[in-house]
This record gives sequence, C-alpha cells and structure tokens, in this order.
Amino acid sequence: MERLFALVRGRYGDRLTPAELDEVRKGVEGVVQTARALRAVRLESSDEPFSPFIPYRADP
Amino acid sequence: MSQSPVFLPVRRLAELVRSRTISPVALAETFLDRLETLGPTYNAVVTVTGERGMAQARRAEREIAAGRYRGPLHGIPYGAKDLLATSGGIPTTWGAAPLREQRFDFDATVIRKLEEAGAVLCAKLAMVELAGGMGYRQPHASFTGPGINPWNPGAWSGGSSSGSGSAVAAGLVPFTIGSETWGSILSPAGFCGIAGLRPSYGRVSRHGAMALCWTLDKLGPLCLTAEDCGLVLEAIAGTDPADPTTSDRPWSYEGADVAGRRFRFGVIKGVATGCDEAVRANFERSLDTLRGIGSVEEVELPELPWEAITRTILHVEAASAFEDFIESGKIAELTAPEDHYTPYARDAILAKDYVKALRLRGVMAHEADRVLSRFDALVGPGRAAVAPGLEQEFRSAIRGSAPDVMGAIGNGAGLPAVCVPNGFGDRGLPTSLQFMGRVYEENAVLAAARAWQALTDWHLRHPAVNQPA
Repeated sequence: MERLFALVRGRYGDRLTPAELDEVRKGVEGVVQTARALRAVRLESSDEPFSPFIPYRADP
Repeated sequence: MSQSPVFLPVRRLAELVRSRTISPVALAETFLDRLETLGPTYNAVVTVTGERGMAQARRAEREIAAGRYRGPLHGIPYGAKDLLATSGGIPTTWGAAPLREQRFDFDATVIRKLEEAGAVLCAKLAMVELAGGMGYRQPHASFTGPGINPWNPGAWSGGSSSGSGSAVAAGLVPFTIGSETWGSILSPAGFCGIAGLRPSYGRVSRHGAMALCWTLDKLGPLCLTAEDCGLVLEAIAGTDPADPTTSDRPWSYEGADVAGRRFRFGVIKGVATGCDEAVRANFERSLDTLRGIGSVEEVELPELPWEAITRTILHVEAASAFEDFIESGKIAELTAPEDHYTPYARDAILAKDYVKALRLRGVMAHEADRVLSRFDALVGPGRAAVAPGLEQEFRSAIRGSAPDVMGAIGNGAGLPAVCVPNGFGDRGLPTSLQFMGRVYEENAVLAAARAWQALTDWHLRHPAVNQPA
C-alpha cells in the first residue's frame, strides 16, 4: 500500500493539500482492499477476460 | 385545454394528442413554462430549449393535422440529461463547471431518434458532474446545485441523472432520458418515486453521450410509469453504426395486458440486509403482493466479490476516459470538493488487477445468466434507503457505497432493470422496488413492473408542486 501511495503522491502530491493527500491515501487503501478481494478468487488460465479482442476491418 | 396534462403518463398524453384533444404546441407551452418557473426549485434544469422545442411542437402539430402520426411520442415533451450532445448552439455541460460552455455541432443518436419519433425536446437536465465518475460522496456535486427531491426539499433527488428524476416527479416533463453506469437511473427513479428503466448494455446507442465507462454506460428513460418506459425505449433502441457496441438483436416493446399472467420471481438471499427499516418493510409487503401473481423463490449466489469486480472496471475506465481532465488538474475546478482529488488514487490500480476484474466479469455474466434463466426477474429494493439529506455524505472514502449486489451484477453484466415506487419511508420520501432481468429481456422486467403497477397505486401519487422558486 505504501509503495502505491508513494507512486500517487509522487505524481500528484504537489497539487494537493495535506488533508486531500490524506483522503487520497484512504482511496489507495480502498484500491488495495479491492485488489485483495479480486486476487482471493482463483481462476483457471482458460478463464479469459470478458472483453475478447476482435480484429477490426473496415467494410468491405 | 380543459384537462391538465401535468402528471398524465405518456400513454394517455399520446391518446389526447393523436385525437387532437390536446395540441403539441399547447403541451410544449405548458411544460416549458413549468421548466422555467419550477425547474429552479429543484435545480433540475441546465438549459430550457424553448426555441427548438416550440419548432418541434409546431412541426408535430402540422404533421398530425395532416394525418402523419409518427407514434406515441409524437408531440410529447421531454428532457435530456445534459451529457447528450445537442446541436444548434445548445450547451452540453456534463454537469461540470469547467464545461459550462461546451457545445457540439451534432445530435446524439438518442436525440436524433427522439426527433424522428416526433418528441419535443424542452430541456437539458441537470446531472452530477461527469456523471459521478470522479467519486462524489454527497449531493453538492453539480454546478447547477444539488438535485432537490420534489417530495421533500431537504432531500436529494438522486443521481447522477438528478434532473431527469426530479423533472418527471415534479411534472415538469412527461419523460426524460438519463444514463446509468452504476445506479444513475435507478437512484433518481427510486428516490423520486417514479419509474426508471436501465436497458441492457448495447440496447441503446451511446453515440453522442459523454463516456464515463465504455463498457458500463447505458442510456434509458425515466417516466411516470413502467409502461411509458417501454414506449420510450422502443423509440430509442436499436443498432447504430456510430456505436459498434449496440446490439443487432431486434427489439420491440411488448405492451400486452399482463392480467392473469403468472410470473417467476427470484430474490437474492439477504438482498435487503443493511437497508433502512421502511425499505425492508415495504419490500416484504411488496413480495407478499407479488406472491399473488406468481412464485417468489429465494436464490443464493456464490461468494464472489461482485462489487469489487464492477468497481475496478468503473474506476479504470473512468480514469482513462477523463485522463486529460485529471492529469491537467482541471478536476480542481469541479464542484464537489472530493472530486478534486479522489481520481488520483485510481493510478494505484494495477493492470493485472484490472484484467482479473475482466476475467471475473465473465464468471459474473455466466452466473447471472444461469440464475436469471429460471426467472422472469430478480426482485430487490430499488435503493437501500430513502433519499439522503442535502448535507449528508452517502459514501465512505474506503469502501465506496453501501453493498449493492444487484447493482454490481446488473451493471457489470449489462442486465436490464426497472425501478418503480412501492411506498414511503422516513421524511415522506419514496421507497422503491427493482425488477432485474436476463440480458435483452426488457419486456420481461417491464411486464413484471406493469403487473406490479396494476396492483398498486404508488405511481399515481405525486408530490405537491405549486410554488415557483
């Protein structure tokens, strides 16, 4: 979490007040919690992303 | 005009217009006046489109007089959420102060289709800035001010389609178009005590609509009745070459009488857990009513992080859709203080977690279809609580919104749902019921909602709307 927050702080910290930065920190905590929930589910490698890539071709 | 058209559903107005009992011009004048004088009371309106509306109304009147009747929306006034592009110099602000003067030189497909149906555009309606995608947590999140609930001026009208909800509930227009990424049609519909339909993803073209999340955004109607939602959806649905995500499955509204039909309803176990007492009580009473027209069966879903899946997709797509806006720091000009910084945290979402969410989306979609294939609809509370007060925070910084499994699955898997009123709760505010169906089964959920409204009269109750601001 700290490394991710450091990444965000490094990018945007100079435009945020201390109070806003604290809120962003909570946001990063939320991101981490969400990621943990996703990672807790085991999938098979055959479980593909639900947005399959379809090559594009303009008609005709 | 001997009969007031205010609070008449589209179906009834259409009969009166077709029979030339009411003129489209008189209708437009009535609703334009209400939008001008009452719209500010509810912070519902961004722009009254009087010139365009009257031109469309006059054309409708000429066509109907000449025997060229286009259908049930011909001559009917409506409002459009202000994320739908409208040509002719009409601003399309996306609810955001920095974009007050934004204009497009084309009409969104939905606007074009409604024009072809003969509907009369009377207003661009207020919305939460950028459709709520920057993480707002309280009602003061639009440059037009917080949406005011017509049932209680101290309560929020819901969002992000705030004006689309309050305008119908206050009788400012007979129908509106809103959008939903996660909750933005059902929320104002539920909080304002009207009908709101979130169609299947891909049912309605998104061309010309502000993109918040390309794979979650849906456009749909808010009306006084579920039946009206079907009439409007028929006019706006369909494949569109300008939006390749639109479905090529043909669809037409099946508005047949549902008397005597038996429905199969499912209820997700624990769906009302955490809801307000009045919401729970009204929901249980609603289920008793629904048992009179069908079976009600409890269903259990597997333990999966439903909300985490949809929230991850939402945050990543929104971060990309508004990349320039966020990177430039322009979010500091938005209205809600929390919108000034919340998006930055989304840089912490790792690509592999986003891909994991997409993989789990497939699991979600298959599970939802497996469950819904056995029912006409899953039933649940429309919202977990009545509308919050105008100064009330309704999200936490860490967890986001309160649990919303039906919303997570419904939006994550692109499923249709209709929200209709089912009673009242604290502070005289409406509670609601939602019927969520299998993908592309808008007719099933609309039939269920129509059957519900044939048994109840909540949709016939309207707030006292008398004094202009």
